[in-house]
Amino acid sequence: MKLTAYFHDKSLLLLLHLACMGSLTAFLHITGYPASHITLICIFWFLILAAWFFTAYLQRKNYFDEAFRILDHMEDRYLLGEMLPDSFSLEDRLYRDMLRISNKSVIETIRRLEDTQEEYRDYLESWVHEIKTPISVITLSCENGKTAEPALNQTFRNIRLENRKIENYVDMVLYRARSEQVYQDYLICETLLEDIVYEALEKERLLLIQNHIQAEVSCSGTAYTDKKWIVFILNQLILNSVKYRNDSSILRFYTHRDNNNIVLTLEDNGTGIPTQDLPRIFEKGFTGSNGRSHEKATGMGLYLCKKLSDRLGIFLSAQSEYGKGTKMILTFPRSSYITDAKPLPPSK
Amino acid sequence: MCCKEEEIMAYKILLAEDDEPLRNELKILLENALYQVAAPDTFHRIPQAVLSEKTDLVLLDINLRDCSGFDICTEIRKNTDVPVIFLTARTDTADELAGMLRGADDYITKPFDPAIVLARISAVLKRTAKNIDTEDASRVSRKDVTLDIAACRLLFKGQTTDLTKTEMKILHLLFLHADTFVAREDLIEYLWENRIFLDDNTLSVHITRLREKLKEAGIYDFIETKRGMGYRI
Repeated sequence: MKLTAYFHDKSLLLLLHLACMGSLTAFLHITGYPASHITLICIFWFLILAAWFFTAYLQRKNYFDEAFRILDHMEDRYLLGEMLPDSFSLEDRLYRDMLRISNKSVIETIRRLEDTQEEYRDYLESWVHEIKTPISVITLSCENGKTAEPALNQTFRNIRLENRKIENYVDMVLYRARSEQVYQDYLICETLLEDIVYEALEKERLLLIQNHIQAEVSCSGTAYTDKKWIVFILNQLILNSVKYRNDSSILRFYTHRDNNNIVLTLEDNGTGIPTQDLPRIFEKGFTGSNGRSHEKATGMGLYLCKKLSDRLGIFLSAQSEYGKGTKMILTFPRSSYITDAKPLPPSK
Repeated sequence: MCCKEEEIMAYKILLAEDDEPLRNELKILLENALYQVAAPDTFHRIPQAVLSEKTDLVLLDINLRDCSGFDICTEIRKNTDVPVIFLTARTDTADELAGMLRGADDYITKPFDPAIVLARISAVLKRTAKNIDTEDASRVSRKDVTLDIAACRLLFKGQTTDLTKTEMKILHLLFLHADTFVAREDLIEYLWENRIFLDDNTLSVHITRLREKLKEAGIYDFIETKRGMGYRI
């Protein structure tokens, strides 16, 4: 709060004082008071007024500085009404009451929205769980329906392939909802990276076979992570590799150590990503020139992968040479206390 | 696909799943894999049935209509240590833990791959079965040719031929389906299930190499090819 602003705010009061001073001077002058006395009275009046004015200014300034300081440090700013410093001033107290009432209604609105959102999320989760049963039935029916008739088998295979796509879209809904959630739905365990890769490949088996894609796995080592989430992320990356494939595609999965980290790389020999697109591929809704020229890209897959891996504390990055292929790199940090605990050298 | 591996072992499986279409399809899948399947449509008597029917394995859904699979599992565990596999649409990690803590042997989430269901069942049975005859399963024969799966080689007239893992798996599937044509697609799928991730062209290369190996060993015209149908031995 600036002094000039305060001065401006109180200008009417100051004018009143000036007017009073003027009238008093005129009155005393008429009643025959000596001019020196009048001057003295005015000087004292002015001094008292100035002292009162500056004290009041300092007091207001302290009050508002404190209020702004509290506001700066507050996490939920809409709760300011509860946190304002006590004040003698009637206006302050009235404003505080108004703030409290308005805050209360904001809080109620937020709570209502949260309830609706949670209800919707619960519904979504239960919907996802329910849809999985019919998806399983379709897969099983196709498997059980196999005959000696190659054409019919191909039809069943196509249905299973499409069914797997549905399953993947359903998973995306589930993980999308979960990526927003505050509570943690994951369990960090020591997991063999090889197993994660095998599980991801198993899920996309039909799609990869259908598209004549080979895979090579040379993974070793373990990471502390949640298997389900990583399998989901890998599946999205595999789907991208299939979408942007070239002839005689091959997917390579390999691991290496980098300082305290273990790095899992998925390398393909597909179309690759143009250099100008590379920095933006993890952005929500970004489809790039690849996405536009290929079958419909939603710009959700990689965004979701990035978001989920961030939540798991994994660093996801991409390297690509346009026309040659893409490397998607997952870096799993290892806690230093685990790697630092090296075995003791054998005693001699 | 790969189900005929468990030959004549008629393990008894009790299937507790309340969704009728899924129950029926699972029953067919398991029966095709030569298991004996009991699939009741009420579930509160399951713990007793497990004992009286001498069940070898229980497949248990968690969200059953009138009771919880978790409770049934706890109940089963009071009397017997028959293997239990949970089958469920719940994917929460917490649920998985809850299942394991109640003494389940494995946990399969919907939607599942038929091959994976069968593989998990067979793995759990192998782990828990009291007496398994590994000798029989590790060798298969046809027309004087014997495939030694454990040693990854072929025996013919006292001669042995070493095989690569891929060649062994290809032959294994053909042996299992002797006299019928195995489609190339099925063959590739079977290889992927066994973690050999190759494509159509590479399969042809492997088949050609395998044929040459067979020829060198003196086995002629062992693998028959029919366009659009696949391979047969």
